[in-house]
Amino acid sequence: MKSMFVVMNKELLDLARDRRTVLISLLMGPLLIVGLVVGMGSVMQKKFSTQMQKTLEVPVIGAEHAPNLVDWLRRSNIEPMPAPEDAAAAIAAQDEDVILRIAPDYADNWRRGKPALVEILHDSTRDDSRIPVTRVMAVLQGYGQQVGALRLLARGIDPAVGMPVMVAQTDLSTPSSQVGQALAFLPYFLIMSAFVGGAYLVIDATAGERERQSLEPLLATPASRAAIMSGKILAACVFGVFSLVLMLAAFKLAFWLAPGNTRVDVSLLAMSKLLLILAPTLLFGTSLLTVISASVKSVKEAQSYMSILFLLPMLPTFYLLISPVKNQLWMLAVPFLAQNQMIMKVLRGEPLGLQEWVFYLVVGLAIAGVLWFIAARMYHKERLAVSA
Amino acid sequence: MIEVSGLHKAFKTRTGTVQAVKDVGFSAHDGQITGLLGPNGAGKTTTLRMLYTLMRPDRGTVRVDGIDAVAQPDRVRRGLGVLPDARGVYKRLTARENIAYFGRLHGMDETTIARRVTALSQALEMDDILDRQTEGFSQGQRTKTAIARAIVHEPRNVILDEPTNGLDVMTTRAMRGFLRQLRDEGRCVIFSSHIMQEVAALCDRIVVIAQGTVVAQGTPDELRAQTGEQNLEDAFVRVIGSEEGLFG
Repeated sequence: MKSMFVVMNKELLDLARDRRTVLISLLMGPLLIVGLVVGMGSVMQKKFSTQMQKTLEVPVIGAEHAPNLVDWLRRSNIEPMPAPEDAAAAIAAQDEDVILRIAPDYADNWRRGKPALVEILHDSTRDDSRIPVTRVMAVLQGYGQQVGALRLLARGIDPAVGMPVMVAQTDLSTPSSQVGQALAFLPYFLIMSAFVGGAYLVIDATAGERERQSLEPLLATPASRAAIMSGKILAACVFGVFSLVLMLAAFKLAFWLAPGNTRVDVSLLAMSKLLLILAPTLLFGTSLLTVISASVKSVKEAQSYMSILFLLPMLPTFYLLISPVKNQLWMLAVPFLAQNQMIMKVLRGEPLGLQEWVFYLVVGLAIAGVLWFIAARMYHKERLAVSA
Repeated sequence: MIEVSGLHKAFKTRTGTVQAVKDVGFSAHDGQITGLLGPNGAGKTTTLRMLYTLMRPDRGTVRVDGIDAVAQPDRVRRGLGVLPDARGVYKRLTARENIAYFGRLHGMDETTIARRVTALSQALEMDDILDRQTEGFSQGQRTKTAIARAIVHEPRNVILDEPTNGLDVMTTRAMRGFLRQLRDEGRCVIFSSHIMQEVAALCDRIVVIAQGTVVAQGTPDELRAQTGEQNLEDAFVRVIGSEEGLFG
């Protein structure tokens, strides 16, 4: 036990001497988070408000066929513009978000009381065109409804006859769940920093120590190999917790600075919950990395696993994107998926039951424990100490 | 006191099994310096690694002060001071911190560690480098640090793999003096070397290893008598069967 703490202290001291590495690894993540949340938040909000309110310029093909409609557009804060030569090309080149085309026989159909064709040209795969298209659509529908109602009135019919069903939408999403939707990347960010945040420290402490050939004298001391390994894992965990606390502080700061996003739960209680959620991940990550570092021949080989490890936490997020499923208890046993669900719940301010907490922590720590055990077994291999 | 008998160790490599050590046996007594002499690749390092329990012998026994190294490796390591072939000094720690780290791993308290560091620093003449980070140390300074670290707990038995490797003449002389001092304190000192003059100058007993096996052993006088050569150098060449790699 005592050797474990001796090793831990030495690893932390060794790391602390490497000041530049420590600073970069501790500060990069938090700075990135603040930048991302504040930057993205304000950009998104600015875009949203300008797209909703400012005069929308829409090229209109065949504006001369429908002067009344064009007038209506103008009154609804949409400025008709001269149309480009090739409408399809202009959309494809992203010069225009949306183009209106008024059919040449518009006036004829109009006069004869037949539906007159107005086309909205846009590219539905482009997020940017979503708001302009919705605006144009709403204005055209309003125009159609008004003229329709006037025509019915002129014929002595109640316009309500033409509206057998009245459709109304009631959005039941809470403001905080909307915010959560916009911040789907945040759990990934946190899980990632818990999972591989201390990676270089772990790799350095095992594969690096072996490569520098200092593992052999270390293993020739009476300290047990399990204690030496645990000390190294513990050091990485201490560093990891420290780095996570900084990360969460940055998180809090970011949402405090960010415009409009105040509905994410960033209370101290929520932050402590996040830390508790991420603790098993930290142990899981450092144990897994120790297993990898102890089984490979060099630091380089250990680092080649990093790209896979970076992808791993993303898989559940991808899965949820493709097929969003209802939260169920078994999900809390799947690494990464569990963290994702738990973090989302905390950020949305939804309650987590005692059963969920116990189940999550027990399973999470058990998985980490198994890896820790494997790592301890790896440390007993003869090959580990004898690198040269 | 270290007793070795019938040691065997084989390694599997891509090209087949390599028998690194076969039937190595010798005794190293307290208050003596025992030298393992042999050309590069003779199996000296592998033998030593089995002595300090880093490797398990395929066959044979190692007893350190009467304790079996395979059955009780932890107890054996307690009574050993080891300078492996790879010095592995932590470069971001100072020499003092390097030494203290191993003292703590041996379960020593801080006062004892401080006292030992002072004593070792004087004996190894490293006062001027004691509080410098070891990054940028010369080979000799690194070896001194590693040796101090290895014997911080005052072990009865000291095992040193090529302790004078890469050292200049002055440092080598100082190192020899230090090893004699360890012997005079009554410790059992084993060291390996591929340099004949080194072994001839220091050892009370010599174990000559070639191709993984012991080809001769005894005091320098016994070796001369066995081979019928008056000159120790000729005696070595005779038992090993070649002059390859024996001269420093």
